[in-house]
Amino acid sequence: MHIRDGILGPEVCVAAAVVSACAVAYSLRRLRVDLEDRAVPLTGMMAAIVFAAQMVNFPLLGLPVSGHLLGGVLAAVMLGPWAGCLAISLVLIVQAVLFSDGGLLSLGANVFNMGVVGAWGGHAVYAALRRCLGTSVTATVSSAAVAAWLSVLAAAALFCFEFGLSSHSSGFDPSGVFTLMVVYHALIGIGEALITGAVLAFVLSRRADLIPAPTPLPAVRAVGQFGTAGLVAALAVAALLAPFKSELPDGLDAVSQQLGFASLETERPPLLLDDYAIPLPVEAWWSVSLAGMLGTAIVFVGAVLLARAVRWNTTPLTLADNTDV
Amino acid sequence: MSDSCSPDAGATASDTSLCHGLPADAKLSLTLLVVVVSGLIPLEHWPAQGLLLVAVFMALSLAGVTVRYLARRLALFLPALFVFGLSIPVASAEGLAWNWTLSLWLRCTVSFLAGLWLIHVLPLRELLSVLRRWHCPVVLIAMIGFMYRYVFILWDELRRLRSARDARDFGGASTWREWTISAQLIGLLLLRAMERAERTHRAMLARGWDGSIRSLDDDR
Repeated sequence: MHIRDGILGPEVCVAAAVVSACAVAYSLRRLRVDLEDRAVPLTGMMAAIVFAAQMVNFPLLGLPVSGHLLGGVLAAVMLGPWAGCLAISLVLIVQAVLFSDGGLLSLGANVFNMGVVGAWGGHAVYAALRRCLGTSVTATVSSAAVAAWLSVLAAAALFCFEFGLSSHSSGFDPSGVFTLMVVYHALIGIGEALITGAVLAFVLSRRADLIPAPTPLPAVRAVGQFGTAGLVAALAVAALLAPFKSELPDGLDAVSQQLGFASLETERPPLLLDDYAIPLPVEAWWSVSLAGMLGTAIVFVGAVLLARAVRWNTTPLTLADNTDV
Repeated sequence: MSDSCSPDAGATASDTSLCHGLPADAKLSLTLLVVVVSGLIPLEHWPAQGLLLVAVFMALSLAGVTVRYLARRLALFLPALFVFGLSIPVASAEGLAWNWTLSLWLRCTVSFLAGLWLIHVLPLRELLSVLRRWHCPVVLIAMIGFMYRYVFILWDELRRLRSARDARDFGGASTWREWTISAQLIGLLLLRAMERAERTHRAMLARGWDGSIRSLDDDR
């Protein structure tokens, strides 16, 4: 799961590092508000727990290798997204600089894929699901398991994205590797989901008070949370489905070709995402996938802006006021 | 993936070599420089990459890294890299990809060895002081310090839990049972650790902790 140095291009690593640094700084600010003086010992301990838990091996049936927990969603469920993101980032920093596990330059990409998407995104999925499913033990465990699976898959999709952007990988078709990567991580994600669910079920049976119930959120933050959850899910689904995209023309195109009115189509100006493919000198599969992700991201940003615009005109609603939604 | 329960950090305070004497900032910057340069060398200039590899090997021997340690780390690292590099030409069947695979192997090995050199010559204390000088947030540095301290305590805790488990199940558990037991192991570790964190926090409060970090290195 850790990206080594040399796999991604330096420019991609630097860009990811800048984004991750901003995310970590924001988490730090939020954390000092949420946990106050408990922030340092609790987050340090959570990072140590994730680090130690990664040492526990889970045997894979009939295979000579074993897997281990990644822990992003687990940390976020226990301490919230901000502390979760920081804990995973700390684990990655210490692993990279003091244990040489994962690259130094690609630390930013690792923090982004596993810390930011794993903990922020994972927690958004978890909280959104739990809001819908209720507060029973089953609901908590299954929400966390789904969030764990989706976050692993989203991290794999992001790796493919970063790898595709790296200048090293231009000039050949990496789609086979991406398909392999995504299928492999879909399986790893099942393991992660099972472990996260089992650990949480155990903790809930002993100390249910350690896992906070979702608090009522202002409408804007609730929309943001659902939006983030949707983005993570869309990333995962885009990664899963992109290799299987049909090469046939879609329904409307097929009908227009049969009826012959395709020739009536006037020349239209080329769009940025023309025919769901970004006009880049790369293979078609990758281009389609990229377009899907970019499109999803644009929709997401639009939704967030819309939520902002709504906030300016209305008084803030809380979820407690409209729990029947 | 390794089953060892012991931390694998390279650097200790007692090491004395030419490389250990360098200033900590230089150690970190030098390693980053090697990684960046190795990432920027294009495909065609693989001899330059080879030279970099030789240089990193020389640095490793200067730092007094034993061949045995190096072989153990490389044995864990190389198979994964080998498979990842091979998957590209197998999937794309183009002539260019083989060049790409070879350069990937070289690049990743150079970076990995540079990382090994760094963990061998840079102890945690020096890392923390470098981060402080590079204006990393103080809270983050304190968290790293805390985490590093806790990790070894939790490793011991995990070892005790594990030997208790092994003493009771005689190694005959089915895969599914082993999964549930391991998950419970993590759950138990988590509960004990959180309680320990709460105790630590209370002890810190009793000693006047107010959430701000003070350090003896501040006046440096």
